[in-house]
Amino acid sequence: MNRIDRLLAALLWLLGILAVAGITLIVAIFVLPEVAAKDTYARILALAKPGQAALLPPARPDTQFMPFADPAMVQSVCPFDLADGGLRLHADVEADRLLSLSFRTSGGQVFYSMTDLAAQQGKIDVVVLTPAQLEVVEADDDEDDPSQDLRLIAPETMGYVIISSLAAYPGERAEAEERVKSVACTVEQVAQE
Amino acid sequence: MSLSTAIVIKKSFWAYGTMLGKFLSAGCLGILLGLFITFVEIEQGKGFVAIEAGPWTGWPRSEASVIDPFSRAILVYSGKIALSESEAMSFVAHSDSDGAEFDSACDYVVKGEIPPARYWTLTLLSPAGALIANPAERQGFTSSELLRTSDGQFEIALSRHARPGNWLPLDRASKFILVLRFYDSELSAPATALDAAHMPVIVKGRCE
Repeated sequence: MNRIDRLLAALLWLLGILAVAGITLIVAIFVLPEVAAKDTYARILALAKPGQAALLPPARPDTQFMPFADPAMVQSVCPFDLADGGLRLHADVEADRLLSLSFRTSGGQVFYSMTDLAAQQGKIDVVVLTPAQLEVVEADDDEDDPSQDLRLIAPETMGYVIISSLAAYPGERAEAEERVKSVACTVEQVAQE
Repeated sequence: MSLSTAIVIKKSFWAYGTMLGKFLSAGCLGILLGLFITFVEIEQGKGFVAIEAGPWTGWPRSEASVIDPFSRAILVYSGKIALSESEAMSFVAHSDSDGAEFDSACDYVVKGEIPPARYWTLTLLSPAGALIANPAERQGFTSSELLRTSDGQFEIALSRHARPGNWLPLDRASKFILVLRFYDSELSAPATALDAAHMPVIVKGRCE
């Protein structure tokens, strides 16, 4: 083997190492959020069962449910598993009180979000469904009396809804908690075909 | 064993020696290098979607499907995913308007313009996103509770010593960051047109 051969061989190995490094980088970038999201979802399921809402513990200096939480926000979480049926959310909205809902997959990705400004006649009615459940529900629709529900198709059967309200003043915390708790989260039975 | 035999043995080792071993070591080296680059990039990086305005760095709400896996990994790693996925548009500052990193031995004033939003909040957190304990139990302000001058201007003082008006206590031992959140604002995902002139400035005061 002369010097050039050796140089070429070394170069080839180097390229091999770089290729492996590149693949590792790409895999790590894609896997990291999945792993972290699984952890978050597991913690949420420890707080509440699917179809039930639970208040998230308020952020304090010594304990926090999620980092970077806004201490002025009061939040609750409602996990869902559409295998058991659809998820119905009902909220009565008070004028000029921030209430926001965000609908997420178990992986943490938001597929829909809304605030109280989107309420119809002071009410928010949302039903989260799978595409198959939506077909069943639509088949039952009365054409003369259309449903006022907002129907959302979830990209996955498992996920959760985060319900948040702002305590604009420290003294309003209890009030904001009541507002968040008043959002009803129930399993909606959908007739199977 | 003469020197030449040793060389021959060495050569034959390299020529016919375990290719498997070489492959394995190259693979391991590659994986280590890849993980190292991932770590450095995620630790230092801001991703492709970060919006900068003066001292503030913001991320669009990640429901915007434009978010790339790289930015997502950074947000998840830093814990800011919770920020970007709430209904708020959030901005983080690690330094004052002159670019000097926050020092809890100094006083700071946050003032100036603020983009329109239904509500906004300013929160003081540790760089890891935890609240910092203080005797006044004050970690932030909401736009409703701020004391303002008659023309609607506001000033928030950050100091280790009590200040009249809007005072956010600093802790001598703790590093801190500021998080500014806008709820129900006009600022939405591709808020690329955000101008630093319309964001609050952070002015450093006296240091001890």
